[in-house]
Amino acid sequence: MNNQVTNGASKSKRISKKPQYSRFTQQELPAWKPILTPGWVIASFLAIAFLFIPIGLVSLFASERVVEIVYRYDQDCVPEMYRGNVTAYIQNSLTNKTCVENITVPKKMDPPIFVYYQLDNFYQNHRRYVKSRSDKQLRSAAYEYSTKECEPKERVNTTPVTWVPIVPCGLIAWSLFNDTYNLIMEDKVLDINKKGIAWKSDKNVKFGSNVYPKNFQYGAPIGGGKLNESIPLSEQEDLMVWMRTAALPTFRKLYGKINTSLEAHDTITVVLQNNYNTYSFGGQKKLVLSTTTWIGGKNDFLGIAYLTVGGICLFMALNFILLYVFKPRPLGDPSYLSWNRKTVS
Amino acid sequence: MLPNSSQVRGWIMTSNRPSLPTPGSTGSDLSSSTSSNNSDNNQIPNLHSLQNSSSQLSIKSNSWRASVNFGSKGVSVADSEGFSISRREINDDDARLVYVNDPLKTNETFEFCGNSIRTGKYSVFTFLPRNLFEQFHRVAYMYFLIIAILNQLPQLAVFGRGASILPLASVLFVTAVKDAYEDWRRHKADKIENNRLSSVLVNDRFQHKRSKDIQVGEIVKVSADETIPCDIVVLSTSDPTGVAYVQTINLDGESNLKTRYAKQETLSKVPEKDVISGLIKCEKPNRNIYGFQANMEVDGKRVSLGPSNIILRGCVIKNTDWVVGVVVYAGRETKAMLNNSGAPSKRSRLETHMNREIILLSFFLVTLCIIVSACAGFWLKRHQDELDIMPFYRRKDYSKEQVENYNYYGLGMEIFFSFLMSVIVFQIMIPISLYISMELVRVGQAYFMIRDDKMFDAASNTKFQCRALNINEDLGQIKYVFSDKTGTLTENKMEFQFASISGVDYSGEKIEFYGEQGAYNIQVDGQVWRPKMKVQVDSKLLKLSKTRNDTKSSKEIYDFFLALAACNTIVPIVVNTSNPNEKLIDYQGESPDEQALVYAAAAYGFMLIERTSGHIVIDIQGERQRFNVLGMHEFDSDRKRMSVILGYPDSTVKVFVKGADTTMFKVIDESLNLSVVKSTENHLHSYSSIGLRTLVVGMRALSIAEFDTWQTSYEIASTALMGRAGLLRKVAINIENNLSLLGASAIEDRLQKGVPEAIESLRKAGIKVWVLTGDKQETAISIGYSSKLLTSKMMQIIINNNSKMSCKKSLEDALITSRKLINVTRASEDDESSVALIIDGTSLVYILDSELEEQLFELASKCAVVLCCRVAPLQKAGIVALIKNRTDDMTLAIGDGANDVSMIQMADVGVGISGQEGRQAVMASDFAMGQFRFLVPLMLVHGHWNYQRMAYMILYNFYRNALFVFILFWYVLYTGFTLTTSITEWSSVLYSVIYTAIPTIVVGILDKDLSRKSLMTYPQLYGSGQRKESYNAKLFWVTMVDTLWQSVVVFFIPLLAFWESDIDSSSLGDLWTLAVVFIVNIHLAMDVIRWTWISHASIWGSIIATCICVIVIDAIPALPGYWAIFNLASSGLFWICLLGILIASMIPRFIVKMFMQHCKPCDRQIAREAEKFQNAMEITRNGEIEMNLPHR
Repeated sequence: MNNQVTNGASKSKRISKKPQYSRFTQQELPAWKPILTPGWVIASFLAIAFLFIPIGLVSLFASERVVEIVYRYDQDCVPEMYRGNVTAYIQNSLTNKTCVENITVPKKMDPPIFVYYQLDNFYQNHRRYVKSRSDKQLRSAAYEYSTKECEPKERVNTTPVTWVPIVPCGLIAWSLFNDTYNLIMEDKVLDINKKGIAWKSDKNVKFGSNVYPKNFQYGAPIGGGKLNESIPLSEQEDLMVWMRTAALPTFRKLYGKINTSLEAHDTITVVLQNNYNTYSFGGQKKLVLSTTTWIGGKNDFLGIAYLTVGGICLFMALNFILLYVFKPRPLGDPSYLSWNRKTVS
Repeated sequence: MLPNSSQVRGWIMTSNRPSLPTPGSTGSDLSSSTSSNNSDNNQIPNLHSLQNSSSQLSIKSNSWRASVNFGSKGVSVADSEGFSISRREINDDDARLVYVNDPLKTNETFEFCGNSIRTGKYSVFTFLPRNLFEQFHRVAYMYFLIIAILNQLPQLAVFGRGASILPLASVLFVTAVKDAYEDWRRHKADKIENNRLSSVLVNDRFQHKRSKDIQVGEIVKVSADETIPCDIVVLSTSDPTGVAYVQTINLDGESNLKTRYAKQETLSKVPEKDVISGLIKCEKPNRNIYGFQANMEVDGKRVSLGPSNIILRGCVIKNTDWVVGVVVYAGRETKAMLNNSGAPSKRSRLETHMNREIILLSFFLVTLCIIVSACAGFWLKRHQDELDIMPFYRRKDYSKEQVENYNYYGLGMEIFFSFLMSVIVFQIMIPISLYISMELVRVGQAYFMIRDDKMFDAASNTKFQCRALNINEDLGQIKYVFSDKTGTLTENKMEFQFASISGVDYSGEKIEFYGEQGAYNIQVDGQVWRPKMKVQVDSKLLKLSKTRNDTKSSKEIYDFFLALAACNTIVPIVVNTSNPNEKLIDYQGESPDEQALVYAAAAYGFMLIERTSGHIVIDIQGERQRFNVLGMHEFDSDRKRMSVILGYPDSTVKVFVKGADTTMFKVIDESLNLSVVKSTENHLHSYSSIGLRTLVVGMRALSIAEFDTWQTSYEIASTALMGRAGLLRKVAINIENNLSLLGASAIEDRLQKGVPEAIESLRKAGIKVWVLTGDKQETAISIGYSSKLLTSKMMQIIINNNSKMSCKKSLEDALITSRKLINVTRASEDDESSVALIIDGTSLVYILDSELEEQLFELASKCAVVLCCRVAPLQKAGIVALIKNRTDDMTLAIGDGANDVSMIQMADVGVGISGQEGRQAVMASDFAMGQFRFLVPLMLVHGHWNYQRMAYMILYNFYRNALFVFILFWYVLYTGFTLTTSITEWSSVLYSVIYTAIPTIVVGILDKDLSRKSLMTYPQLYGSGQRKESYNAKLFWVTMVDTLWQSVVVFFIPLLAFWESDIDSSSLGDLWTLAVVFIVNIHLAMDVIRWTWISHASIWGSIIATCICVIVIDAIPALPGYWAIFNLASSGLFWICLLGILIASMIPRFIVKMFMQHCKPCDRQIAREAEKFQNAMEITRNGEIEMNLPHR
């Protein structure tokens, strides 16, 4: 009996509960403890400056190289007599929508020249709008009836009981942009290539080759462009471009590409069909011809931003140099510790 | 005097905690515990608690704090109330009837609970509903749920179903898995418990039965070293006197043996042969493990049962072959199970402050939502006429028979809906996930605290314990430390030092008994028995004690040591050693003082070798003598003494009394020998002034008549059913008088290792250390000196008064002096000299809970050191409350004993020392550790780290979520104020789940701003936590301004760069997603101080994980953004944008940070630099204070 007590006591002593030592549990893992010394601070400012200023210059230069023609036509293309009542003009399918205008090429434009249409004040990112599409339906004929998200352009009631779906359904497709442009230069029609304007991924995967438009733009009101019901969606590149909803209320969309170069001072005659109704909500329409560089279209903002940041960094580097020279502080000097400072003062 | 209800209420509640001194703690801490709310009527509140036990379980510490009365006046009032209750009988409604050995009848009318236990919360079927129910008790989850439900309404569906449920589902899932795992482990443990076999009497034979099948009323037999399966009343034991020794370590953590007795009436019965029957009438189940009230009817006789007759579930039988008992409580009604409840939860200071900022954030949220909905309203109003035709609005639905509005509910409703929708979109402005991250971080921090080998106490083999998981960071902001003395600053390992016997002081040279021959031993059956602990003895006294003649001094020495050996509750246990011819006697007892005295007596040749309930055997200088123990009056904190009535072999009867000097001199007959009394008093004074604990021993021979009267009243009292403790006390007071003084003993309670250094460090760290002790003033002051709490340069203000008026006066005087002195020190700029306040418990009675409190506070806050001596447990809490209620400073209380429980619970942070005095302090504490000196690494190192980490993590989470919300908000302004997000809904959801969650948690657990070495070398660095340097309102606003700037950069650089371009919304959304995740992680990376491989992995891993997620999302053809990221990444503009965003967003932050670092460096910054650049030089020069170096 006593034996057991002894054993128990000595046993519990032998098994130490001392935590096993490891660098992890003692929080002593090898670690890199960077401290930014004055040298590092100045160096990093300078490094940023020397990186950013050239990038800024290069992007400004690239943006400068871009030649861009922007022509706003929504006002000009309304005949004088309809200026007072634009909506009546645009909604009337009988009125002549053709509009001819001349534009001049300011500088030499090298191919490919991109033809865009630009809409202003058109909220393609509006909540009601972006939701109103059925990606399933676009992809495969099997999902023709999945139109739940597409209200109110969901379906067409043939009889009170049965209904047939609209393909492609939804507000986005319904409001397909349908102005057309023909460019004529020196009596020759400039060929606008409308192939390859949509993303390859959209053509190959997202829009099904067995999905054909059905009941599209059936019944009033008509939102915009019509689709050829014999061409599958995977070939309808204008639709694909339109269905890639824009991020911002001012946006451009690719209309086509011109593969010939345009010389400076060339005059181009634009013959356009002004079909699309932006008048009812105060939107604007523009035709844009633009070359591109690696930075995309014409945009000085990034270049300026880079130059500003680079300049600030350069300025800060100088400031810090001055600070370190005129008000040096030895690193890790214990006399700067608050309790030491108190006794000194 | 009728007590007012609040006082009684407070008292009842306190006495129900397992914290107060207990009737069982015989003689424990004789000289230190002066609790005025005493223990003797401890059973009474328990009875009371029977009547409202349900309400008591639910009372949280807060309500207790509010109603408690800290002066001892309230307590004494409540005392009398207690007595009145005690006179009541147990009425049948409140009693449980147990028919001994008749479980059928016992369980007939009342369904008593069986012995199977279920600590598991759930079963397979109830898991889902019950777990969900419990989880939704948390506000955070409710918020998630409400947002998710809102999102399900078709008008408001911002996110898809799956995406909106995901955050809630993932959190619920993780928690449910955790709960399920814990529950599974509990089930497993329950199964083992329930299936353990025990012998139960069935049909007059003991048979093995599974533990879960045991019923109330059955008779069980438990053998040595077996665990008791349920609460049993002892009927008989292997010991003929009916004693059983039990170890209660599973119950209260005390490892010493306790004695339990069978009643005379039952101990001779053998269950297999005799028919045992009877009726036990006992209390309803309650959680007081130290109280039990019952009576038993056996053979027509009525006997009373008390706490010493019951053995509780979980105890282990030791030194007794078998115990037979009848089951009175089983299963979850056992006291052990009823006590299975967690510690009360506290909320950390940082979290309280954080909640304030969260309210601000919700204001931001509401503001954003109002802006959006107001703008949406204006927009709709302005375009009201166009809505029907707008291609992107199309209010009218022409496809139906009747043209009607589609999804348009009128302007007012639209505004309202857009408000709700913006709440859904901007929901993460309120960082609910932060609460979950904080919990994870605290678990991680606790892991590292527990695993810290610098806080492991090798002596007691105890690890650091983290009992509360939600106040880790409070450890970094402590301003006041309240410490107990005995067992906390000192070791509570008592060593007998000096004796004063009949006026002669024996404090001369000591002989070291380290050789084998020197130590006292006795021969028993050819074996050598010696005491387990060796004691240094006084050579002169040793010689005197060995000579036995009839001189007066020799007789007095004989009586003195006899008293030391006999007047106690120590049980000698013979322990084998490696040498078969040698055995050690281990004195087991509940009071370390008594152990020290018995060991001392043994060293002087009075070796206690056997104790049963009826007699003791003492080997006196090699001659064995047997004394009958006729009666024993156990220690209580009112009398502060205990006594034993011994029957000598020659049938003379003497009463021996030992106790604290204050109460002993009242009962000593001074007329017997005045000079002896005087010189003893002098000796006592000199002993206590060097920090020793003193006890006075007295004796009186009893005449036969006296003895007879005593015996009758003793028997009546000890069999009384109600108010037994009070009756026994009266009997004791009647016999403990007119004593002749034998002498006094002085016991040293040594300071723990490293205490002076620890106190020094704490004070350097700007922490005020107050010591609250039950000891005498002289002892307290001397300990104060030896622990470097007091220095000779300090001016001491001593307040020691007996009336309110004098208290008031001395407080006023002290205030004037201290003010003067502080002015002087300010002028001389000598911060060494300062004021120390020493105040005693009697004065505190008049000061606490009166208008003088304010003055005391003012005085105390001017003092560098405050020593409170002779304070009662509740006064300790009162002093903590004095500071806590008047300042914003954080308090920490540290203690080891039951008397510290109230203070531990009162303080913001309670630390328990898992030492000698049992585990009650530990049970009440938030953190528990083995040694006082661990407080330094705990607060200065872990506390500092925890605070810095948590503070940073909170700010960072605010920033992270607000940044995302701002970006969403800016975009909404460009969508006609309709709640569109170009960032895909999956990215929105994954943002706080995958993209950015792990790095903050890793940094919150692992990042260290300073090394342990620097923190220990410069305790002043702790001040950053006290000054709230890492989390305050200013930092919050600075962070928010930075957030605003960063969101502007992230949003507007791409916006302007892609203005008038053919970018689609998914591509721009991807750019924003990547940009925000990159800068959020880079922002964190800029603030990480220590880059271990884990931080590298988590930060860069998160960025990579984000990229992968974005790619995966864009590879799903069903989503509108199919392939967007690939098209985007092929354009140069994207990369230029990304780089520009990263740099431009970080630059202001970088500039300000660098500028502040150079011009206004904080202490932490300098120490960090010193660590890196001058480490070797600086730290070795100043770094003498290394806490874990062996001291002395």
